[in-house]
Amino acid sequence: MSLSPQAVERIAAPRRGIARRVYDFVLRPEASVIVVSVALIVYFELANANFLTNDNLETVSQFVAAPVIIACGEIMLLICREIDLSVGQVFALSPFIMEHAHAVGLPVVAAIAAALAVCALIGLVIGLITIGLKVPSFITTLGMLFLITGVTLTISRGFPANTPGGPLLTGIMGAWGYSEIVWAVAIVAVMHVVLRHTRWGLHTIAIGGNIVAAAEAGIAINRIKIGNFILTSTLGGFAGLLEAFRVGSTDPLAGGSTIMFLGVASGVIGGTAIAGGAGTIVGGLVGGIMLGVLQDGFTLQGINAFAFDIIIGAAILIAMVANIHLARLRGGGA
Amino acid sequence: MSGATTTGGPQAIRAENVVKVFGKVTALAGVSLNVAPGETLGILGDNGAGKSTLVKILTGYHQPDSGQVFVDGRPVRLGSVDEARALGIECVYQDLALVNGLSIYHNMFLNRELLWGGPLKLLDHRAMRRRAAEALAEIGVDVPSVELEVGMLSGGQRQAIAVARAVYSQARILLLDEPLAAMGAREARLIIGLIERLKARGDIAIVMIAHNYAQTLEICDRVMLMQHGAVTFESQTAATSAEELLEIVRREYRAVRAG
Repeated sequence: MSLSPQAVERIAAPRRGIARRVYDFVLRPEASVIVVSVALIVYFELANANFLTNDNLETVSQFVAAPVIIACGEIMLLICREIDLSVGQVFALSPFIMEHAHAVGLPVVAAIAAALAVCALIGLVIGLITIGLKVPSFITTLGMLFLITGVTLTISRGFPANTPGGPLLTGIMGAWGYSEIVWAVAIVAVMHVVLRHTRWGLHTIAIGGNIVAAAEAGIAINRIKIGNFILTSTLGGFAGLLEAFRVGSTDPLAGGSTIMFLGVASGVIGGTAIAGGAGTIVGGLVGGIMLGVLQDGFTLQGINAFAFDIIIGAAILIAMVANIHLARLRGGGA
Repeated sequence: MSGATTTGGPQAIRAENVVKVFGKVTALAGVSLNVAPGETLGILGDNGAGKSTLVKILTGYHQPDSGQVFVDGRPVRLGSVDEARALGIECVYQDLALVNGLSIYHNMFLNRELLWGGPLKLLDHRAMRRRAAEALAEIGVDVPSVELEVGMLSGGQRQAIAVARAVYSQARILLLDEPLAAMGAREARLIIGLIERLKARGDIAIVMIAHNYAQTLEICDRVMLMQHGAVTFESQTAATSAEELLEIVRREYRAVRAG
């Protein structure tokens, strides 16, 4: 009636074998992006000897960090079929909250915490409106995008502000050349574990894959979605703080939709399904690196900014099309 | 010919004179059934005969207007799907409620994942893989690996995973909604084999909604024919045949045409 113990062993074992592994890896969404990124790095280094220098790598890492941090949140939202269009505005708002909190007497570390708390609150509001009033998050966050821009311009009166903090904290938070990318990689590592090795991550995937099945299994759908909105806003705010510490001042129109779309594009290029149900955090990092390498490489080549946008747009399209077809090849839900 | 064949033996689930009215439509006009542990009851009938309504009452999705449901001989009120589940009543619907993008073992443990000890509460993938493999092996469901995404499986395999999940969650009363619908012969064989193995365990009462007379007679111990919200025929499968069942239905068609 039942299968043999050997069969149990076989079914339970992780799939092994070099051919199997290679095959699985090649079909992974990140794989093609890694290959393309390496090819781009080789090309830019051959075309321009300045590419693999310490100064330039620092520049690339600084370009990559913020979109990757934002991608970590957007990937979680995309997987459970939501999106946050306003995270770039939270990015701009949070340094001003920190500066205002510092100005009224809070130490810098507490001011950072206050800024992150406000960002988390924004995420909570987005989540409550989206879930409670059944508004698509595309619409909720489109409204929040304008609303937060207005708030930032109002509290800053339209002027940039200087970032507070002593040299050590400033260095840790972004002034040292590689500190932003160290933060980004650390956040990627934590979020990778959250997505792959916690119930939170598994339930996020289940919600995006089949919301009826998730509900029938008793998963708290609203809690997970709202939590992912809070996560995304908080990460966006944190990326904004890092940027403010690196630059030393912050502009009320920093970040914006550009950084949000770079985050979303990093995730999607890295293999996150725009229709939900599948995605990888590591893919977001790889996608962000690819965009950073492209941007920096073309800048070194002296390609003008207009042509650059055309190339970036085409690259994103190609990467997304490739991903959708690879997902189909893998046979799972795209 | 209505009324349950109460055997006086052990009973897993019993319904007595269940009535359900939706507006002007009487979906169930006093239906009774009785299934013993280890027994399989097939419910046949046309669309609109009330089969689905009956199953939805047994799963706690609908509440009857009158009549009583008993589990293990005790009267129960199935106020919700969760209440029914707590009593060991599991239903495998046609949509199966599986997440295609997740592996077999993640689907089997969805929302009752096994975790490592410790404050981080990380998923214990290894333990889940093993337990899922054991659970599948126990009821004779063979798949290449529990790591496969459910979306890569055939319809029959997916059905088997859904049944295995229900059984693994300690189901003692298993309701199957058209488990053989839209399935090829080989796939159907897979599910029929699975249901037979579950029967052989002897502890699970199975209620199965079906369309196909021949398959139902092959799998089930007893069949019930529902027409217009009432049980019009009930028999041990050994004592009836597809011809007899067809004849009853044909008689009705003739009556309608003559009427």
